[in-house]
Amino acid sequence: MLESLETAMFYILLMACTLSMLLYWVWLGSKKELIGHLATYLTIIAVIANTVAIILRMITSGHPPLSNGYEFLLTFCLGIMAVHLYAEFRYKVKSLGAFVMPIPFLLLMFIIMSMGPEERIAQAVPPALKSQWLTFHVITAMFAYGAFAVSFGLGIMYLLKLNKEDHGQKSSSQGIVSRFPSLEVLDELSYKVVGFAFPLLTLCIITGAIWANYAWGTYWSWDPKETWSLITWIIYAGYLHARLMYGWKGRRAAWMAVFGFAAVLFTFFGVNYFLPGLHSYA
Amino acid sequence: MVENSKGWSDRLWGVFSSMRLGLALLGIIAFVSGIGTVIPQTELDPEKAKAVGQLWQAMGFTHLYNTVWFRLLLGLLCINLVVCSIQRLGGIYHRTFKLKPPSNLAQVPQKNRTVIQGELAPLRESVQKVLKQKGYRFTLSDQSDPWGFIAIKRRLGNWGSFITHLSFVVLVIGALLGSALGFKGYFMAGAGNTIPIQMIQISKGQVSETFSVRINSAEDRMLPSGERDNWYTDLSILENGQEVARQTLSVNHPFEYQGVTFYQANFSNGASFTADINGQKTPVVLQDQGRSYYQAPGTDLYLVTALDPSSSSQKPDVIFQVYQGNGANPIQSGKLTSGQTIDVQGKYKLTFNGLAGFTGLQVKKDPGVAVIWLGCLLLLGGLLLSFYWQPVVISGIIQSENGKKGSLTVGVLSGKVTTSTREALEQIVSSVTKMLR
Repeated sequence: MLESLETAMFYILLMACTLSMLLYWVWLGSKKELIGHLATYLTIIAVIANTVAIILRMITSGHPPLSNGYEFLLTFCLGIMAVHLYAEFRYKVKSLGAFVMPIPFLLLMFIIMSMGPEERIAQAVPPALKSQWLTFHVITAMFAYGAFAVSFGLGIMYLLKLNKEDHGQKSSSQGIVSRFPSLEVLDELSYKVVGFAFPLLTLCIITGAIWANYAWGTYWSWDPKETWSLITWIIYAGYLHARLMYGWKGRRAAWMAVFGFAAVLFTFFGVNYFLPGLHSYA
Repeated sequence: MVENSKGWSDRLWGVFSSMRLGLALLGIIAFVSGIGTVIPQTELDPEKAKAVGQLWQAMGFTHLYNTVWFRLLLGLLCINLVVCSIQRLGGIYHRTFKLKPPSNLAQVPQKNRTVIQGELAPLRESVQKVLKQKGYRFTLSDQSDPWGFIAIKRRLGNWGSFITHLSFVVLVIGALLGSALGFKGYFMAGAGNTIPIQMIQISKGQVSETFSVRINSAEDRMLPSGERDNWYTDLSILENGQEVARQTLSVNHPFEYQGVTFYQANFSNGASFTADINGQKTPVVLQDQGRSYYQAPGTDLYLVTALDPSSSSQKPDVIFQVYQGNGANPIQSGKLTSGQTIDVQGKYKLTFNGLAGFTGLQVKKDPGVAVIWLGCLLLLGGLLLSFYWQPVVISGIIQSENGKKGSLTVGVLSGKVTTSTREALEQIVSSVTKMLR
């Protein structure tokens, strides 16, 4: 019963996410406010469905959503959409949705294409995963990665807008980019989002270390996942320093936000598929 | 000569106080760490690491994170962080505690500033009132014309970056303490066995402790759902044969005794026997699948065992084999049921008592762990101060125009994010204007 409700939630999430992405695109082109509102409402529905799906999964399996890739991806999607909604309301940047929503959409497509039903069902967790620290670890990862996805979207928007303006179309009323906030606002917002996420990523690494110390007796073992999270951390640390000390704003900062998110994705996916290690279950 | 050496030390200081060096080092460390995730590492995958080319092995690429040159990189980064922090200490102190009010218009931040007109005395009063209301700490100038003030809110935020950077040094000290004074080892033992801590297999450091560990029982517990609950080991610490501590540990619930921590890491089934050699009975616990053996004292007979998969899982039988010397084929083999006794080559009698758990424990002593957690706390605290507690510095100056009326020019330092500091300025300005009405 609960399982089928969870499956229903997954499909509601999938539909709401896909439709909202399409509507954000239509809104960018058509500038009809109703469509923009609909896109936002659908994102809210997607967030609710995602949350309910995760809660149902936790009830049926009796542990935080982390026994397999499916659960991790659901959590990742929730993080991205939640941070995006917050940014949209707080900073009034509806156009962000057109660039952020494709990320959860692609993640959900990845689930549909590559994971059979047997890979999606709740699995028994090995004793090493039975730890409260893991819950904190996953929650911090969810928001940090979600925020990095949003800064990626902002970086792309910045580069697109800059490109248009470089070609002499000074924010003409015709172009899609005219719906974007000013370059300065995009740049600063991206910095703010990274500034929000960076301490969370740090906390994610620290809670992981505490948990590893309980489970295996080593707080740091240079396992590929750990190492890649450190590399991601260093890239964003570089982003923050370059900005504060050398005034690397604008184009360079935007590229670093894009590059940093590539490292996030590699830490999340690449390590599991290309490199073996302790995190192989994740 | 003296001047020359001073020049050198200055130059060295100059090199290490550069953030460019710090960023370059971070970049190199990130790149090198990445290489270590692609080339198999001895610690994680010894088999594959051996297959890597000799030249790469000799250069340390298969144990990259332990190489001298990787540690040298971390050491250089540490020096860089310390020097940078010292360099910036004075500035941070002055920006936090020794703020000076502007004495002329040029000293008021120019990017974000506003001018308010009004009568001198009410202007001055309302500025102070508003600053107090909004929780600013402020310093006023001694002179009355022009009269200036400087105010700061969330001033501890200035220390965020300093604390963050120093936390790395704390983390490195913690790691060094661990590797200099600690040890890491592993042992696998069956229920009933007693192992002196000095005898365990050590992979790092040296053991100075002298106590022994007795495994009272080891269990692989299942939940009614069929899912594994956890592996449990009931363990006692013995000092001179006397039990001084006893605890049950499981995965994620380690047990610590005198700074030595035991972690449940592994489990396998085993069988418990009694060997009777001329009336002297010795308990023997052997691991399933022949993973451990028993050599009866004074003989060259080696006994191995495996659980019989065809027997009931509640009360299983065991299959045993006895080897002699280096012989490749067993000289005696057979099956035993619980309680059954057999004669082994006329040398001793062997009784099978029943199942016994075999537990694998990771043993670790790391006096640096507390320092590591302190470093983590500082790191996190520093980052929270840096990004969630950003200071706002507002300063202004009142210049009189005709002795009675004047204009207040107030500005805010833009800091890391301009929009929120601008908002802070707007709030002050609107409150002051309201109060003047």
